[in-house]
Amino acid sequence: MSLTPATLLRTGVLVLLAVVLQISGFSQMRILGGYIDLIPLVVGAVAIYAGSVPGAIVGFCTGLLIDLALGQNLGATSLVLTALGYGVGRYRDLRDPAHGLLPIPVAAAATLGYLAAFAAVSFMLEIGSSVSPLVLREAIITVLLNVAVALPFFALVRRVLRPVLAVDPAVRMRRRADPIESGPLGLRGLEVRR
Amino acid sequence: MYDKQVVRRRRAVLAVLVGLSIVLLTGYFGEGNGGFFHSIQSGAQTVLSPIEDGASRAFKPVRDLVGWFGDVFNAKDENKQLKKDLAAARAESTRVAVLQRDNDQLRKELKLTDDLGYSTSSRLTARVIVKSPTVWYSTVTINSGKSDGVRVDQPVVNGDGLVGKVTAATGGTATVTLITDGSSNVPAQIDPDGAHGIVTPSVGDPNDMQLQYIGKNHPVKVGAKVVTSGSAPGPLQSIFPRGIPIGEVSRVDTADLELYRKVHIRPFADLRRLDFLTVLTGKPQISPATAGGTTP
Repeated sequence: MSLTPATLLRTGVLVLLAVVLQISGFSQMRILGGYIDLIPLVVGAVAIYAGSVPGAIVGFCTGLLIDLALGQNLGATSLVLTALGYGVGRYRDLRDPAHGLLPIPVAAAATLGYLAAFAAVSFMLEIGSSVSPLVLREAIITVLLNVAVALPFFALVRRVLRPVLAVDPAVRMRRRADPIESGPLGLRGLEVRR
Repeated sequence: MYDKQVVRRRRAVLAVLVGLSIVLLTGYFGEGNGGFFHSIQSGAQTVLSPIEDGASRAFKPVRDLVGWFGDVFNAKDENKQLKKDLAAARAESTRVAVLQRDNDQLRKELKLTDDLGYSTSSRLTARVIVKSPTVWYSTVTINSGKSDGVRVDQPVVNGDGLVGKVTAATGGTATVTLITDGSSNVPAQIDPDGAHGIVTPSVGDPNDMQLQYIGKNHPVKVGAKVVTSGSAPGPLQSIFPRGIPIGEVSRVDTADLELYRKVHIRPFADLRRLDFLTVLTGKPQISPATAGGTTP
């Protein structure tokens, strides 16, 4: 992903939409005691498709926007989401995963990591009172709900980002899907060159 | 792939972003409410609030729909919880009612045995644990036995009057044969005129007993009380002490050819509902006549 006005516009709109939808819509729709959290999903999706540096930048900006919009401690969400975007992006950089169901584990890990890290930061900053075990239940439900919407949401993000990505994820998947050629003994490296 | 410049740039970006976050955090915490970061935040909120408001309005139908589903789920849960609460309240209410009934029964038993002159050491209250399922053998088993001082032939009462006598006892339980059992014979007399007879059961009808051997010429009023007489025909003393209420006269049949009247009595004790019984294990300290009335 190169830094162009189109890239900025697409990711900016994506992040703004995700934040607005989250704070005005999804966070108020309680489902089974939890809610869908688009924030870790959008950061995780950008990171998995664009890499660690865009992931970290998008994470920072998303966190900053949330902190500004909600009047929270500035920098807390940014710190967490920067780490999240960078971590998911590094996974993508190192492993180059291309499985069709990849959004599911990525969404689960990103949501869980986001909730855990945010809880830890909140504890370190100002929470001094006891915490109900229901928080854990809510976190689990949120992870499950995020997993449930991961596939369509990641597909949507990919569609938005595809024009500005250096490598189209769909192409990577197709490339990965090619059969591995092998030689007459079934060993790689001894294949017949045409 | 591991281009040093790329790695450096990546790390630098990460360091800058993390550093920025920490600067924001410390700056935000360090300043007052009117500080630089707070001002930026309030400005951003002013800009974002119309967007949030619009989004919130646009999302309302969706929120309502999800809320409706949530309410249905909650209503189901609430319904389940309320059903559970209702069951618990019913159980509690039943328990209280049973305790109340037990309490009433025990108080009545206590009063009756007090009136009969029995002290705490000469009576024993026990719970009925087994009831005979047939009409032919009217027995119950109580949860006190020989180890508690229960012996065969001791009279058994409840709060309303005479119930029966102990016919068998083991270490921890005893069998009480009710006065409605086919083998039961209780020496009795009509109160207050004192005509003596023997109370025998009508097998199959626990509400009807007969007072035998009341002479034809002896007037018997319906409603007269029948109590144990304390005496037995012959030289033996009755196992039932004098003055225990048995029942009241419900009907008097007179047949021309018979020597005796057939006096029907209705027992005071409801022998189909026995929960606690008092076994009279000793002698009364004072006679019932001195102790006062024995009205059930």
